[in-house]
Amino acid sequence: MKGAQKIEIDRRYCKGCMLCRYVCRFEVYEPGQERSALDYLMPRVANLENCRVCGLCETHCPDMALHVVAEKKGGRK
Amino acid sequence: MNPLGEKYLRKNFLPFIFCPGCGDGQIVQAFLEAVDELGIIDDLALAAGIGCSAWIPVYVHADVLKILHGRAIPGAIGLKATKPSRKVVVFTGDGDGLAIGGLHLLHAARRNIDITVVMVNNQIYAMTGGQVAPSTQVGARTQTTPYGNLEKPLDGCKVAMAAGATMVSRWSTAHSKPLTHAFKAALNHKGFSYVEVISQCPVQTGRYILGSSAPQFIFQWIKDHCVQIEEPSKMEEIERQGKIPVGDFLKIEKPEFMEEVLKMNKALQEARAKGGPS
Repeated sequence: MKGAQKIEIDRRYCKGCMLCRYVCRFEVYEPGQERSALDYLMPRVANLENCRVCGLCETHCPDMALHVVAEKKGGRK
Repeated sequence: MNPLGEKYLRKNFLPFIFCPGCGDGQIVQAFLEAVDELGIIDDLALAAGIGCSAWIPVYVHADVLKILHGRAIPGAIGLKATKPSRKVVVFTGDGDGLAIGGLHLLHAARRNIDITVVMVNNQIYAMTGGQVAPSTQVGARTQTTPYGNLEKPLDGCKVAMAAGATMVSRWSTAHSKPLTHAFKAALNHKGFSYVEVISQCPVQTGRYILGSSAPQFIFQWIKDHCVQIEEPSKMEEIERQGKIPVGDFLKIEKPEFMEEVLKMNKALQEARAKGGPS
């Protein structure tokens, strides 16, 4: 099964809309306490091991701040 | 940051001007994915008028023309006429494209000129503070219709189909993959292509019409209200249920305007060389 190596949330661009958390079916994200450069509360990657690299959060991020790095070769570069 | 953004966005303009949870950023991403798969960034010319959605092309590292309110399509026709090998894409909103620029849409569709119009429909005038738009649903309460909207909404897809567009699709920001495919098909299509995108506006549509400004709520509203159909004949039936039909409605071939112009020029030049009518 595909897994994610890491999920990068760019703190320069995130506006904390939490759509990533909403579209994720595997409960990878949860509301975090860290603030982004724009002073919004950012989501936090809580359960990275649940991630199946479906890319839904990445394609639905309105600020293009998310990047899911797949574990093995063949994932999205 | 998203690798597509690293590759194609103007970094010095970021972050996006859009409100948190706005669908415009998702449209940028879907469009860039289509451009990336086709590899046409160097041939791309983008045009936009005024409105939230008119900020979309500004962030893309391609030729961009920002024009007067509603006049994006005439500018795009100019871009196409000066260099027909260009892929010209217009980003317009429901106010820009259906209200003030509505007639330009009709006449561009009538000519079947090879441009792509991406209409971002958030059902309200979002940038100016939430006034009623031509696409606002009946009964919706907005800043200018505090007791409910009485006017029937204007359906951009039907208008484009009736005016003679040769490719018409409607998707939403909740359908990111079909939207990317529609962008790809529109960019490849020879003729006037119209892609409408139902987008979420948490700040204006959410607050005034739907009752919640949470992006998730509006996203779910779009998911619940968009019904995918194969045949445009079923549109009426879906609309009677209060839902929004989405899908690829039309794709036909017709003579393209710029090709016809070049053909006529060539024929006239040949006739003149032979000493015929000047």
